Amino acid sequence: MENILKKLPAFVDQIREIQEVIISNIVLIGQTPAPTNHEEARTEIFLERLSDAQADYCATDDYNIPIGIIKGTSAESRPPIFVVAHLDTFFNADIDHNFIIREDSITGPGILDNSASAGVLASLPVIFRKLDLKFESDIVLAGVPQSIGKGNLQGIRHLLDTWKGPIRGAVIVEGEQLGRLNYYSEGIIRGEITCNVSSTNGWEHRYKPNAILILHKVIDEILAMELPQQPRARVIIGKINGGFKHGVIAYNARLGFEIQSDSNNMVKRMHAEIKDIVNGIAHETHISIKLNIISNLTPTKLKYKHPLVKSAVSVMKKLGLQPASDSSESELSIFLVRKIPAVTLGVTEGTNVHLENASMKIKPMFTGIAQIIGVIMAIDSGVCDES
Amino acid sequence: MNHSWLKTNTFHHSEFKDLEKLVEAKNRKQLKISLCLPTLNEEKTIAKEIIIMKSELMTRFPLLDEIVVVDSGSTDHTLDIAKSYGADVYEAKNILPHLENFTGKGENLWKALHITQGDIIIYLDADIKNIHHRFAYALLGPLLMFDHIKYTKAFYDRPIAIDRKKIRPTGGGRVTELIIRPLFSLFFPELTQIIQPLSGEYAGFRSLMENISFPIGYGVETSLILDIYEKWGLDVIAQVDLDRRVHRNQDTKALGRMAFVILKTFFNRIERLEKIKLNTELFHEMIQYKLTADEYEADLYKITGDERPPMISIPEYCKKLNRQP
Repeated sequence: MENILKKLPAFVDQIREIQEVIISNIVLIGQTPAPTNHEEARTEIFLERLSDAQADYCATDDYNIPIGIIKGTSAESRPPIFVVAHLDTFFNADIDHNFIIREDSITGPGILDNSASAGVLASLPVIFRKLDLKFESDIVLAGVPQSIGKGNLQGIRHLLDTWKGPIRGAVIVEGEQLGRLNYYSEGIIRGEITCNVSSTNGWEHRYKPNAILILHKVIDEILAMELPQQPRARVIIGKINGGFKHGVIAYNARLGFEIQSDSNNMVKRMHAEIKDIVNGIAHETHISIKLNIISNLTPTKLKYKHPLVKSAVSVMKKLGLQPASDSSESELSIFLVRKIPAVTLGVTEGTNVHLENASMKIKPMFTGIAQIIGVIMAIDSGVCDES
Repeated sequence: MNHSWLKTNTFHHSEFKDLEKLVEAKNRKQLKISLCLPTLNEEKTIAKEIIIMKSELMTRFPLLDEIVVVDSGSTDHTLDIAKSYGADVYEAKNILPHLENFTGKGENLWKALHITQGDIIIYLDADIKNIHHRFAYALLGPLLMFDHIKYTKAFYDRPIAIDRKKIRPTGGGRVTELIIRPLFSLFFPELTQIIQPLSGEYAGFRSLMENISFPIGYGVETSLILDIYEKWGLDVIAQVDLDRRVHRNQDTKALGRMAFVILKTFFNRIERLEKIKLNTELFHEMIQYKLTADEYEADLYKITGDERPPMISIPEYCKKLNRQP
């Protein structure tokens, strides 16, 4: 590990020397719209960029997941290492996906979630050549679609379900923030409660039920739920919308929420409780209220003393980064639940992550990339094999 | 009218995406290629153009020998940003400074001839939001692959950015359809085969560009086509479909001023070619009205229609590039 660590600081400057290649990939990929479930155009450009970067093998699988493979020197005896970034974004295709580059920043919708990562991933073959790096394992670079929201991580689930053979370890790359080190995921159930008040033909009753107020009642009861200190648990009310205009009673309303806990039983118990709340209000008001589960994840984690986590901490500290750990409900969960050691790392610093004027800093990105490479090298040196 | 040019001299950018082949042709013909980006307050787009061209057409495929920015006096950060990403940056007023100073896109393009080294010069507008390296290599393709083609011109679908957030999928090219196409139809029907004569992306051999004059402003695109057509014929020109270009929307008054300049350039050319005889001198002011409080007020734009002579007639240029006038 020491041999790896001492090379890392010099990598930062060497990577900066090819900044045009990396920024070009970020821009060309990121300016191609990719709302969840409609990632075809970005998939195509991602694959094209991987191919242009001369990855040894580039293709999409039967689920249209673009993959580039850099052949390892001992690929017959060493399982592959996965490096993945999700391709989809929160933004619809009709939003102007225009990035503005200044002297030390790139600004535009989705730049931090997750164009920066996808661009870095597509640049890795060039960066490896620049640093004269060879790996024993095949390095599988995958841009995964259908990750966020209703995508429910379907892309990575499919990729791992259909991948034949063992996987040595994985690095999940996210745009922000540099310094994050995720190695555990909480259990979650992500759900939607929809309330529809049926419209009548002809004159409406002046004081008919209001879908927004009914959801308000649901929220009140969710907030009144007793949550334990241990195991940790919470309900996040994340999205709400409904109604038509100011002076008309709302016929429809929709509430998006997420239950999070490090105990799977607690997640299930809270889900059952919210279901009871919804059913109770539906029964009392005779209004159609439905609860749908959009996605769920089982809690899973690597221990802090896992060699991959320890190596990642060493890599980050060597590069002057202070690791910050938190739960991450992302591709990481899908690897960990399949007993594949994995960590999530951030590429750079930035602001306004989920807004149209999201902005990433360019200079810290080179440290972020060196960090990703350090962790890949650690996995290739066998830190995950020991576990 | 013979429409054969449209078939034989129209290409799609995908026909030239084998960049190795273009590099091989460039090396075989021992050519140098310069990319020129004329700017005026383009801080939002200039870095993207430089970075992508440098990455794809210099680092990955050595097609371009230099990227040059020629600026008309930007007051934003255009120059600093362009320098920070490694372009050679010039202020137009400092090139051939002893000559009378003019400001305009055509002036920048003309002066670029003096400071670039390339046998081929590519000109790209610096406000392209969806810049892709095809904008450059597609224009180079016909020049490198066909010996008889000396000048290439872009055309594309033109979505317009209607505000900060949304884009409209079709539109644009209004001055072309309302001014240029009718004029070409009246005087040069052959030239109507050029789909977007006003596109700001074109490339040509120095041997042509140095032998024609450049209007200092918007009329430069029209004059280049007319002069090349007059001197060498339509067959040396090709056009390339670049698919899609997102550009800034301009208001009708701005388009009106553009049309004024283009009309002046056009009349100047057709009179010189003795296609018409004007019995009056054209005025130099575009007059537009705006409503202020309770009265109409005239906005006057003085547009003299100055032109630079062929660069080959400038002694400093001939000396610097070892050219014979």
